[in-house]
Amino acid sequence: MTDASGQLRSLLPRESLLWVFAAQFVVLLPHFVHLPSWLIFAWFLAVLWRVEVFRGRRAVPGRAIKLLAVCLAVTGLALTYRRWFALEPMVALLAISFTLKNIELLSRRDAVLSLMLAYFLAATLFVFEQTIPYALYGVLCLVVITAALVALQGSGSARAGRALGLSVKILAQSVPVMLILFVVMPRLGPLWAVPNNSAAASTGISDSMSPGDFSQLSKSDKPALRISFDGSVPPPEQRYWRGLVYTHFDGRRWSEPGVTGNRWFGRRFGNGQSGQDGDDRLPAVGPRYRYQVIQEASHNPWLFALATSDSDTRGVRSTGDDTLVYHMPVGSRLAYDVRSWPRESTPVASRLSPAEQRRHLQLPDSGNPQARAWAEARRREGMDSQAISQALLALYNRSFTYTLKPPALGTDTVDEFLFDTQQGFCEHFANSYVFTMRAAGVPARVVAGYQGGEWVEQQEYLLVRQYDAHAWAEIWLPERGWVRVDPTAAVAPERIRDGLQSAVAEEFMQDALLPLHKIGFVNRLRLQWDMINYRWYQTVVSFDADRQQGLLKRWLGEISPLRIALFLGVPVAVGLLGLLIWLNLSARGPALPPASRVYLRFCQRMARAGLPRRPGEAPGDFARRIECELPALGPMAARITAAYERAAYGDSTDALKQLRRLVRGFWPLRQLAKLGTAPAPRQSVGQ
Amino acid sequence: MQQRWLRWLDRRLPPAPTVTLNHRKLFVLPAAAGMGFLLLIVLLWLLGTNYENNLVLALVFMLVGVFVILPVHTFANLSGLKLLLQEIEPTFAGDFGRAKIAVEKTGKRTHERVRLCWPPQEGALVDITDNEPAEVTLELPLVRRGKVRAPRLRVESHFPAGLFKCWSWVDLDVEFLVYPQPKSAGPLPWGTSVGEGDQEKTHTVGGDDFAGLKSYQAGDSLRHVAWKQFAGGRDLYSKEYASGSDARLWLDWDLLAGRELETRLSNLCAWVLEAERAQVAYGLRIPGQTVAPAVGPAHRQKVLTLLALFPVQGVSS
Repeated sequence: MTDASGQLRSLLPRESLLWVFAAQFVVLLPHFVHLPSWLIFAWFLAVLWRVEVFRGRRAVPGRAIKLLAVCLAVTGLALTYRRWFALEPMVALLAISFTLKNIELLSRRDAVLSLMLAYFLAATLFVFEQTIPYALYGVLCLVVITAALVALQGSGSARAGRALGLSVKILAQSVPVMLILFVVMPRLGPLWAVPNNSAAASTGISDSMSPGDFSQLSKSDKPALRISFDGSVPPPEQRYWRGLVYTHFDGRRWSEPGVTGNRWFGRRFGNGQSGQDGDDRLPAVGPRYRYQVIQEASHNPWLFALATSDSDTRGVRSTGDDTLVYHMPVGSRLAYDVRSWPRESTPVASRLSPAEQRRHLQLPDSGNPQARAWAEARRREGMDSQAISQALLALYNRSFTYTLKPPALGTDTVDEFLFDTQQGFCEHFANSYVFTMRAAGVPARVVAGYQGGEWVEQQEYLLVRQYDAHAWAEIWLPERGWVRVDPTAAVAPERIRDGLQSAVAEEFMQDALLPLHKIGFVNRLRLQWDMINYRWYQTVVSFDADRQQGLLKRWLGEISPLRIALFLGVPVAVGLLGLLIWLNLSARGPALPPASRVYLRFCQRMARAGLPRRPGEAPGDFARRIECELPALGPMAARITAAYERAAYGDSTDALKQLRRLVRGFWPLRQLAKLGTAPAPRQSVGQ
Repeated sequence: MQQRWLRWLDRRLPPAPTVTLNHRKLFVLPAAAGMGFLLLIVLLWLLGTNYENNLVLALVFMLVGVFVILPVHTFANLSGLKLLLQEIEPTFAGDFGRAKIAVEKTGKRTHERVRLCWPPQEGALVDITDNEPAEVTLELPLVRRGKVRAPRLRVESHFPAGLFKCWSWVDLDVEFLVYPQPKSAGPLPWGTSVGEGDQEKTHTVGGDDFAGLKSYQAGDSLRHVAWKQFAGGRDLYSKEYASGSDARLWLDWDLLAGRELETRLSNLCAWVLEAERAQVAYGLRIPGQTVAPAVGPAHRQKVLTLLALFPVQGVSS
């Protein structure tokens, strides 16, 4: 329709311009962190230019300048981002379209377009972060953008208070719709592959381990995992959250070849156990532990679970090394359900395949001669694998110290640690242990993950922080299979039992700016905040198709089309009914005084008796007409009219009472029937 | 189709000089921006679904809620608005007809950004936030003389967010009286009346011989008042001038013989205006009607109305 587009084509009211800029700023502010700085600069420049135009100091840019701006922007984007199919370039593209539109923000249509972009950009914020603060900020964005939309109407609605007030009102009223849709709307799952947040650096356990890595992690108290158990809970000394297995040693660094990047997915897992095949190795007896792990974004694909685990969560697979991996790097919080069996109950292959054997005995050709000699000596003494392990652990126990600040090591890390410094952190112990065991001919590997965790809110969930990162070892024993050996436990059993803080006491979190962990009250607050976050994540962020079904089942008893229709239909019907009542009430004029209402009832009854009051007819005239045409009712009508006139103009309550009484007893149809006068149509009576 | 629509509108919104808008008279639909908003909702839903991101989905559902709630607000902004036709000024063809309309609220609700217009005219934008009624003057270009019924008036608002439009087509029973468009046909036709035998006499123009006194009548030129006699205590007289002729001006249909009907009316109209400017008494003679000479607003309106309502087919004499 011409009028509609006319409204859009009209010039932007001056006062609305600032609102559009405000909305853009609010939306862009959190994106400033990852947007290139030239883009932010360009945005400010464009806003400044438009304000100058607004103040009449500069002309609206011509076509040549606009073209130049577009070329510059595209070049800038191309130079900044190598990959286009990723999240950041897309957000940057949205931001740049904002910026370019700003210099020609003239009509209302331009402004509406800009605000639609703002809504979109506000939503992309959640793709980066889904925490409570971000959610609150998102609400703020919504309020400001909607207020800007209101302010586009100009005049009084562009006043700050009015625009914000209306915006909050509209949004508050749409909350019920949002809640219902949130619960009921089916979650379809991804329709096509989407780019992920690629630039973020990975955190937590990395794909390799060299001396010093874990002591670095111990300085961070950021949450890594939150684990809630369904049923029994493993005792503290069993809480080893395996993440990654390192089998390759290059003399200094333990790593897992092909663990990162896309090769991970193409890689053949050890003895071919993965996915569905993995179920074969699991025993028929039920799992010992069922739990859900919520993992913070690590930007690595590996997940964390107890030994011998399986998961039904979509995108999670088991590997041949008895670990779980996700089908892509974990870019945002991820929840997965895990079942774990005790190792003793799993069937064991009696021998490792030759390839596996080679893989788990690999050592560099040279280096660390002392350790190799020590291992060789034990072997020659006729000790079996278990005895050698015991001897090594006894060695640790005798004279080693567990410390966060071990002395630096040279080239032969194992020799220096074992026979010289004898001070180290978990990675030193795991490193030397696995090396020595391999030198003694025992298949062994380093396992990295987390150990321990802190209960939050009466054992609702276990909070595992980055400083719980741990490295330990596993050795292959014939008939028993892979057995966990934690050399750290031989030195500092309290690390395993009570966590890092009690094991290293004053060394713990020494570099923290504020030693907040030493204040009990603050610690409690932090745990409470973590719990709020956890519940937020549990109820809102990870609300998926399964939970949706569970919730609906709990509310509706069963999920049938009828019940869903009822669940949806009842609120809609209530809403429509309310709307209808409101429409009828609002269509009515201001309320009539009581006397007039009673008198109108009298008129209605007269109309039913065949003698309606004419529009605009004075009550006195009407009474006289009744007297003429229906003499039987005349006296009564005269009394009622007199009472009405007294009640309406004399304002006396007695008259009103009298009027009510009179009208209550006034039934013209009945009276006429009693008198035998047929309630004839008006015309015949008149004649 | 158009006909049926108009008939339906006539039933639903009968013409009346006072109209209060309510749910029977208002229509609500998404505006162009609203369709854009729907597209945004779809795109955001795809984003949220593909990323399996519940917060994005919550935002989408919030926007859906806004889309559900807004039409109610937009409707409420117009509902209860009362339009009263105040005054219609007569006008000349080729000019704008002006109708003065009062707009006020009937309930407590305010009405903002309400546009009243006869499309495609711009119309007027009113805000009614207090109890004072607003008065707007709407203009409609008129080309034909006669009684012209204005089309239905569009009352429209996109308040509060511009995503929905609420409108009504109101018929305030506006009827313009449109005089013919004045077209000059030369100087005033003094004494050139081509009277037939039934007319009194033929007169020559601009006589300056004093012919006598006649008693003053309203509308006589003040220049011709016999002030000397009045000062002498006698009644008010007008001096009559003639050069052996009647000095009264007759605007005669037959003077313009040979021209088209509408042109004749336009010419007569131009003479009327000129005579009024000069404050000379003038009479009108058109087929079927004769108006005795006089001058003044009432006379002017009477004459012009006759010209405006002159039948299009003419009158057979």
